[in-house]
Order: sequence, then C-alpha cells, then structure tokens
Amino acid sequence: MSFSVPQFIIPDLILLALPFLVIGCRLVIRNSKLPWRLACIGLIAVFVLLNLLPLVGGSGNYFISNWRVDDFGILMREVLTLSALLGLLLAKDYFDHGADGKPQMNQIAEFAGTVAFATFGGYIVVSACDLLTFFLGLEMATIPMYILTAWNKKDQMGSEAATKYILMGSVATAFELFGFSYLYGFAGSIHFDAIQNAAAAGTSPLLWIAVLFLFCGIGFKLTLFPFYTWAPDVYEGAPSPVTALLAVTSKATAIAFLVVLVFGPLAPVQEQIAPLIAILAGVTLFVGNLGALKQSRLRRFMAYSSIAQAGYIMVALLGPAEMSKTAIIYYLFLYTVANYLAFFVFGVIGHRREESFDALRGLSKQNVSLAVALAVAMFSLAGIPPLAGFFGKFHLFFSGASTGHYALVVFAVLNNVLALYYYLQVIKSAWADEPEGELTTLRMTKRQKLCIFLLTVGVIFMGILPHLSDNIFAGFSL
Amino acid sequence: MDTLLFNLIWLIPLLTVFVCIPIPGTKAKLIKSIHATSGTFVLGLAGYLTYRVYALSGTPVDENAAPLMLRFFTDIPWISTLNAHYIVGADGLNIFLVLLTAVIVWGGILVSWEIKGNQKVFFALIQLLATSVYGVFMSIDLVLFFVFYEMEALCMYLMIACYGSGRKDYGGKKLTLTLAFGSAMILATLFGLYFESGATSWSLVELSKVNIPMSFQMWAFPLMFMGFAVSSSLFPFHFWSPDGHASAPTAVSMLAAGVMMKMGAYGCLRVAMFLMPEAAKFWLPYVVALLIFNVVLGPFIALRHKDLKYITAYSSISHLGLIFLGLAALTPVGLRGASLQMISHGFLTGLFFATIGMIYERTHTRDITEMGGIMRKIPFLGVGFAIAGFAGLGLPGFSGFVAESNIFIGAFAQDSTLTRVVTVLAILSITTTAVYILQTANRMLHGNMPAKYETLTDANLREKIVVVVLVLCLLLIGIFPGWIADLLDQSIAPIFAKLAAASTPVIGG
Repeated sequence: MSFSVPQFIIPDLILLALPFLVIGCRLVIRNSKLPWRLACIGLIAVFVLLNLLPLVGGSGNYFISNWRVDDFGILMREVLTLSALLGLLLAKDYFDHGADGKPQMNQIAEFAGTVAFATFGGYIVVSACDLLTFFLGLEMATIPMYILTAWNKKDQMGSEAATKYILMGSVATAFELFGFSYLYGFAGSIHFDAIQNAAAAGTSPLLWIAVLFLFCGIGFKLTLFPFYTWAPDVYEGAPSPVTALLAVTSKATAIAFLVVLVFGPLAPVQEQIAPLIAILAGVTLFVGNLGALKQSRLRRFMAYSSIAQAGYIMVALLGPAEMSKTAIIYYLFLYTVANYLAFFVFGVIGHRREESFDALRGLSKQNVSLAVALAVAMFSLAGIPPLAGFFGKFHLFFSGASTGHYALVVFAVLNNVLALYYYLQVIKSAWADEPEGELTTLRMTKRQKLCIFLLTVGVIFMGILPHLSDNIFAGFSL
Repeated sequence: MDTLLFNLIWLIPLLTVFVCIPIPGTKAKLIKSIHATSGTFVLGLAGYLTYRVYALSGTPVDENAAPLMLRFFTDIPWISTLNAHYIVGADGLNIFLVLLTAVIVWGGILVSWEIKGNQKVFFALIQLLATSVYGVFMSIDLVLFFVFYEMEALCMYLMIACYGSGRKDYGGKKLTLTLAFGSAMILATLFGLYFESGATSWSLVELSKVNIPMSFQMWAFPLMFMGFAVSSSLFPFHFWSPDGHASAPTAVSMLAAGVMMKMGAYGCLRVAMFLMPEAAKFWLPYVVALLIFNVVLGPFIALRHKDLKYITAYSSISHLGLIFLGLAALTPVGLRGASLQMISHGFLTGLFFATIGMIYERTHTRDITEMGGIMRKIPFLGVGFAIAGFAGLGLPGFSGFVAESNIFIGAFAQDSTLTRVVTVLAILSITTTAVYILQTANRMLHGNMPAKYETLTDANLREKIVVVVLVLCLLLIGIFPGWIADLLDQSIAPIFAKLAAASTPVIGG
C-alpha cells in the first residue's frame, strides 16, 4: 500500500474542507462576494473531480472497511454535488433581494457552508458500511436542512416550518435508531456484510420489525405515505432555494439510504419486502398526485409533486440491483435538472410577486422564453417525451416491470395522467390565462438567464441522447 | 440515398424549429416563409419517396426487415440500457400515411397564415407536432414509436389552450388528458410485451418472430387496443374529440382529425393486432359491438348539432368507426379497406376543417342556423365544403367510396352474425350521413343570407391552393385506387399472414 491519498477520497476531502474555507474566508474578508464564489468554485471542482474518477465495478474500502466508495457512491455524489451547486446559484438572488413577498436573507457564506455540510452527509450515506456511520450520515444530511429551513430569520413562516420539520424529523430519527437497534440485535453486528450474511442465513421476526421501523423512519424523509404530511407545510414555509434543496438533496439522500439498505444488508430479503415497497410506492404516488390537484401556491404544489416523484422512484427499487441503481441515479439526475429549472423560473417570477399560480398569468406574452422554459420543466416532470423526465420514468418502470410487477407499473403509468393534469394547470396559468391588471416587469440577471438556458437544454437533450444512461449503466455492468 | 432522405422527413420539421429560434418574433413573415418552405420541401420528399416505394415494389427487401416489407430500413442502436434502437422503415402502409401527413401539415401551415397570437411559437409547435406524427408512422422500434406517439400531447395542449377559441382550456385539457390516458395504457402493455416475449428487443420485426404467451396476450391486447383506440375516438373513448376539435385552431383540427386520429388506428393494426394475433381474434368481435355507437349513432348525433366543428367531429367519429369495422373484419379486403379509409379520411377531414376554418374566419360563427346563402358571396369555399361533404358520404369517384366499399365487402365476408348485422347497419347509416351533410350544406350555403354577410370575400390564392390540392388528392385516390391498393396489399400481407396462422383461443383455455 502506497502513501498517496486514495483518489476516491479526494473529492470528499475537498467538500469537507469547503465549509470551513468559505466561512473562514467571510470572517477574514467582510462584505465581499468571495465566499459565495469560493463555494461555487469548490463545488464545481468536486463535481469535475468526481467525473474524472473511474467507475469501478468493485469498490474501494477504507477506514477498516467501514467506508466504501463504489460506482453507486460516485454517481450519487455527482447528483448531490450538482444539486448543491444549483441550490447555491439559485439562492444568490434570495440574498441579493427579497422574493415571494419576504425580506432578503443574510449570511450567504454560512448558508453555503451549511449546504456543503448537508451534501457531505449524503456522501457519508452512500459510502457507509456500518449502521453507525450510516446513521451519522443521515443525521448530517438532515440537521443542516433544519437550519436552512429557518434561514430567513425575519420570516415567521420559515420558523414555523422549521419547528414542524425538526419535530417530525426527530421522531423519524427515533424510528430509525430503533430499527437499527433491532437490526443489530438480529445480526449481532453493525457491519453491513455481517447483517447481509445473517439475513441470507435465515430470517426472524426481529428482522421484520427492524425493516418496518427503518421504512417508517426513512418514510418521513422520503415523504412516503403516510409520513408525508409535513412536506407541504415545510416546503411552503422554507425559502425557495431551500425548498429546492429539500426536494432534491434531501430526497436523493433518503432514496440513496434505501438503495444502500435494500441492495446491501437487506439484499437477501429483497423479494420478501417487495410487497411493502410496492404498496408504499403505489399509495405514495397516488396520494401525492391527488394532493397536487388543487394547489394554488407553487411551492406547496412542488411539495406534492415531489411526494409523487418519490413514489415513482420507489417503483424502481423492485428491480434487480444494477437496473434499479441505473434507473434511480439516472432519474435523480433528470429530476434534479428539471426541478431546479422550475425553481429558477419561479425565482424570476417571485422577485416582485408572490410565488403562486396567479403570478404566472400572462407569462407567455411577457416573456416567451421563460414560458417555454417553464413548460419544458413541467412537461419533463410530467414525463412527456421527448423530454428527459419521460426517459427517467421509463427507466424506473422498466426496472419495476423487469421483475414482473405489472400491476404496480400499470397503476403508476395511469397515475401519470393525473400528474399531467396538474402540471398542465401550471402551464395553463403561464400560457393561456390572461393577466389581471398591470404586470410587474420581470428582471433577470445574467446568472439566471444562463442557468435557465443550460437547464432547459439539459432537460431537452439529456433524455434523447443516450450517453448519460449508457455511462451510468456501464458503471454497474462492469 | 433514399434511406437518408427518408430519415430526413421527421428531422426537417425539427431542424426548422431550431433554425427559427434565433429569429426575433417580430419578423413573422420570414419565419412563416421558412416554415412554409420546409413544409413544401417535406411534401415533395414524401411524394418522391412514395414513388420510390412504388417503383421498388416486388424487389426483395433488406433481410433484417423481413417479414415486413420495409424499405429504407435503418437500424441504429440508441439507448443500450433499454435495448432500444432507432429503427425506421417504410412500407405501403405507412408511406401513404406519411404522405398524407405531409399534405395536411403543408395545408395547416398555409391556412394558419393569419393566426392571432405569437406566430413564432405557433409554427414551431405545428412543426413539432408534424415531427411527432411522422415519427409515429415511420418508427418500427416501439420505444421510438412511443416517444413520438406521446410527444403530440405536449404540442396539442399548448396549441389549443393558447390559439384556440371558445372553451379552449377545457377542450385542450380534455383532449390531452384522454390521449395521455390512452398512451398510458399502451406504455404499460409495452413493458409487459418486452419482458413476456423474451425477445430483448423493442423492434416490431423481432417481436413478431416470437410467440407471446397467451395468458399475457389475453389481458394485454384489450388494454393496448383500447389505448390506441382512444386517439381514434372509438366508443366509449370518443368524448374528447368533439370538444377538442371545436376549441382547436383550424390547423390543429386538421392535423388532429386528419392524421393524429389515424395514429391510433395505425397502432391497432401495426402493433396490437400484428404482435398479438391470437388475442385479436378473440377480442375483436367484442369491439364490433362498440362500433354500433360510432357508426350508427355518430351520424345521428351529428344531425342534431348546429356547430360546424361538432358536426364534422361526429362525422369523423363515424368514419373512424368504419376503420375499426375493417380491422375487426380480419379479412385481407377488410384490412385493405381500413388502411384506405385511414388515408382517405385524412384528406377528407383535412378539407372539411380547412374550409370550415376559412368560413369561420369570414363569418365569425360556426353556428349553421346563423348562416345562410353564403354560397352567393363565397362560392369557392362553398363548393369546397360541398365537395368535402359529398366525399364524406361516400360518393363514387371520391376516395371514401373506394375505402368504404372495401370495408363493407371485407366485413360482410366474415361469418359472424354480429359483424354482418353491424355491417348492414353501417351501410344503412350512410343515409343518415347524407341527411346531415345535405342539411348542413343547405342551411349554410343556400337560403336567405343575413345582411351582415354582404361584405364577405372569397378565398384568396393561398387558401384556394390548399383546397384544390386536398380535393385533387381525394379524386386521385377515388379514381385510381389501384396503385395504392396494390402497395397496401403487399404491406398487409405479413400482418394478415400472422392473423391467419393464429388459432382462436377458447375462453378459459
């Protein structure tokens, strides 16, 4: 063994150092744009480095084999880093000026640092090989989110949302710990390999209790039925960029948690827990779709939409490991891009108006490009080809159908029609409805223009061009 | 070379959209000319390729394309994760539908010249819709097929909700969601088809070579057939079409009724019946029972309506019912009739909606009771509408007669009492069709003219060209059906061979 730092650890180290650098930088140099730029550059560097890493079929084990970097880990890191980067870019406007009828936010350096910590929590989740590290990662991903939700101190709604979130989240954490303790009791070890061996050797009621509690716990974070009720309030109360982070980073971490669990320690019993996953997926996507039908506030609407998306992602968990992981990561990439595109458009709208459906009226007459970008985002989230979301969903259903869960796939696909209805509501507001009274002018910074343009292009082409999915799949089939 | 040109058919509309993006919306004239040129070019291309398919008939096809008689066969790996390929090919069945689409898109672009609202976006959407329809007819790979098939939903809603008239949001949503419901049923069965067949390919050619398990066919066929039938407005999924057409702008009505509704019937024949022939034999007799509504009651509903677009929509519903009658006949003549009817009805309904749109632009009403005697002022459009009407009721000399006679002969040849009864009813219902068409033409074109119509002006050159071309197409098929029928027969042969070889399943067996 050589003394060089293993290449798989470098991006993690950079990301870990980033918050200290950013916050330290702000302490030294006051009132400058440097910290935020440093954070963005750091995240870009991490993203580029991650892309340079070879996807390995096997994995690198570090720290007494409690830390594993495999292809799934690398790809998930890319999703999380991308989300953090886009979140920071989105957040800048909310620090520059108030939006959605709320005052502006302060302390962007600390904000960036907190986002980086949350992202690093996700890194731990996808690399952990034992229950303790795993739990640590999940908490590290969640606790910064509580803080971020209440970031706008002048906004009471935000504080209320954060309180709600903390209370619900703590209960979820308790559930998880309880599940972990039973899992430990069942296997006699906290290491994933040991648990996997124990589960392969034979099951016991202890294991099922553990599984049930783990799913309850993660159900909160992934907004699965019946634990989704906090989401609309928290999404509504949190500042817009934090809502985007909640919808993407937090959800990606939670789904990564499930993937690691289902295809790691619980792999031998995947078939037995399939009915549980199928029911959770079906009910969640149905409830999410129903809830979204009658919303009038954009962020509340996105909350229900993301609940439904969580249900769709769960469908893929039923497939075999490679297919499922490919589908989920591919979908997460597309979901990140489409979701942020929507939030960037909302950000432009929300500058002088409230973030509601009515604020979108007359958008197609005022700024066609923005209306097109919004339509692209919504149609992609609804899964209409040739936009990326369709191919993402196709992969998810493909994975679910490959093990013969046709009933669930039929149900999920038919639910898509319901979903299309409410996404059309947004498009209708922007395209067909006449504005009421004078429209306030829309102002876009160069950064917003560039982001919206790049994300729109991404949504249009990421699906049609096969490179992304092929690359992801190639990693798993090595 | 021809293969390359064939692939360009769906690419050109898409490229046109991208070319027009940087042009500012204020230069509407330039944008419109670009779109019109592109539409004309594709029309020429489709015409040339149709001729090539005709000239090539009888020569052996690419061995990868057998047993289907596909020309210009292209197979490029696409998404390897899914084993999806980019596969396109042309045979007699789809090349005519592509040609039909090209004519309707070209006409649609020309009639929308004066559309109100953001013209840049409107024409881009028309071209996107054109891309999707071309793609559906051309693609042989089912993933590709589905991508194009569902793409239409995106364009349709925006076009109806932004550029339509009346209850446009309602009509647009109803249309889009019902169609999405249909395609959801198709998508669900596609997954099953892929995994149950074990072919690890989405290609129609490959899938047709394997036997799909009977137990799967029995539940998947009705789901898939009805999924396709939604877009062809088969009862009970016809409800979207009158409202959708009524609120859509002229070009969208033309495209929706003229070509989009054929996509469903085409899918029924090309995908559902071709891949699951055993279940088709079992289920299609039940479909015949549904047709009583389409074919027999459709014309009666049209009789009671006063809005021109509703009348035409219900007339489309009854004509599309005839396509299904031809399909359900399960005889070569019936299938040929059904395919002919797809092509013929496309031109027919295109002409209908084009003239209605032009008349509406002048009278600002589609209510026939408010119109009257406008033949005196706009004789050209009046005659155009009357010709469409006569072609619609199946007057010999027009394409409708050829198609419908084939369907009736084919359907009657099947020895099931229900099919025969429905066939007789369908033949009788032509009388009802005649009644509503003559009544409409009479009320609208003749009689007393309200004073406000004194200033009406007849069609301009652009509109005249569209009408003349569509009438010529109707006449051409009506007078020389032979060469189309020959090509269609060649392409239907492999589908029919599979249907003929299939054994009828027994219930519970």
